[in-house]
Amino acid sequence: MAHIHLGEGSFPLWALALWTALGVVLVGFVVDRVRRGGIETRQIALAGIGGAASFAVFQLNVPVWGGVHMNLTALVGILAGPLLGTLIALVVNVFSAALGHGAVGLLGANTLVNASEAIVAYYAFRALLRLDWDAFPASASAATLGLFVGSVLMGAIIVVSGVNGSALPRADLTVAVAGLVGLNLGVAVVEGVLTGFVVQFLASVRPDLVGLGSRRESEESAGVTA
Amino acid sequence: MDRWKQYVWFLGLVVVSLAAGLWGFSATGGALPWAKRSARTLQEGVREGGGAVVDFGRGVVVAGPIRNGGTMAEFVGLVVAFAVVGVGLYVYVDRYRGLDDERAARRP
Repeated sequence: MAHIHLGEGSFPLWALALWTALGVVLVGFVVDRVRRGGIETRQIALAGIGGAASFAVFQLNVPVWGGVHMNLTALVGILAGPLLGTLIALVVNVFSAALGHGAVGLLGANTLVNASEAIVAYYAFRALLRLDWDAFPASASAATLGLFVGSVLMGAIIVVSGVNGSALPRADLTVAVAGLVGLNLGVAVVEGVLTGFVVQFLASVRPDLVGLGSRRESEESAGVTA
Repeated sequence: MDRWKQYVWFLGLVVVSLAAGLWGFSATGGALPWAKRSARTLQEGVREGGGAVVDFGRGVVVAGPIRNGGTMAEFVGLVVAFAVVGVGLYVYVDRYRGLDDERAARRP
């Protein structure tokens, strides 16, 4: 659920320029990779549905840990891959900022944070599957790990940038940010378990959607024939 | 890897994450919505607080900036539009799922 919830003008100008530039480089790299390598059609479908679900969930506060929202970015990364996961992170942040949820100036920083969740979750999930893990523990652990990395990156961006108007010395700001990152970890595990259930369900009904086998195999094993 | 070892690893992750979450929850003001907690903590530093970790009485609510900013209609419209496009893409891809195989077969 990592997301920098600060208003416009909270970061100094150099920090905005830095994070925006890094965000542009990441998105540019992803678009180039998509143009060169193409996208599997199953990923397009998952990206569309994942983007819709992520945007909707992004705006809903759930009554745990005082009121937090989830992102589903790890789930989107696992299902749609790191490239489309990054693009979905950008799209969700753009539309959220357009509605007032997140500052427009922080689009670069927030895209970096959410894209890192999708990318890390995807590669962690693939690595755990190669180690012969089951779908649920692999996806739940990968999602939690991805969200943990996103939270740490969020904290690092805030500490490196500093916050305009905050009188806290950098050391105190670091401790304060560590508290926010810690809370994010508590949310990450809830979102991780939710992601695990969704991936486990998909793995049982459409394993091809999560890269665990072909659709034909799953239909034949379920007794469905053309 | 043995299934029980997978779940032991995962349970370890859960325990560590929940412990970090509980520490962060109390160190950053207790039962506060995220935006308020974030703004206050970054301005004033860590400040102990308590309250219920789970508060079902609060219910699931739309984020404050949207709820209070008068953009609920736009939010609902966007969710519906995204859902329609997403389901449309799924149906399209499901119907033409042989496209990847045909393309691959046509490649020299």
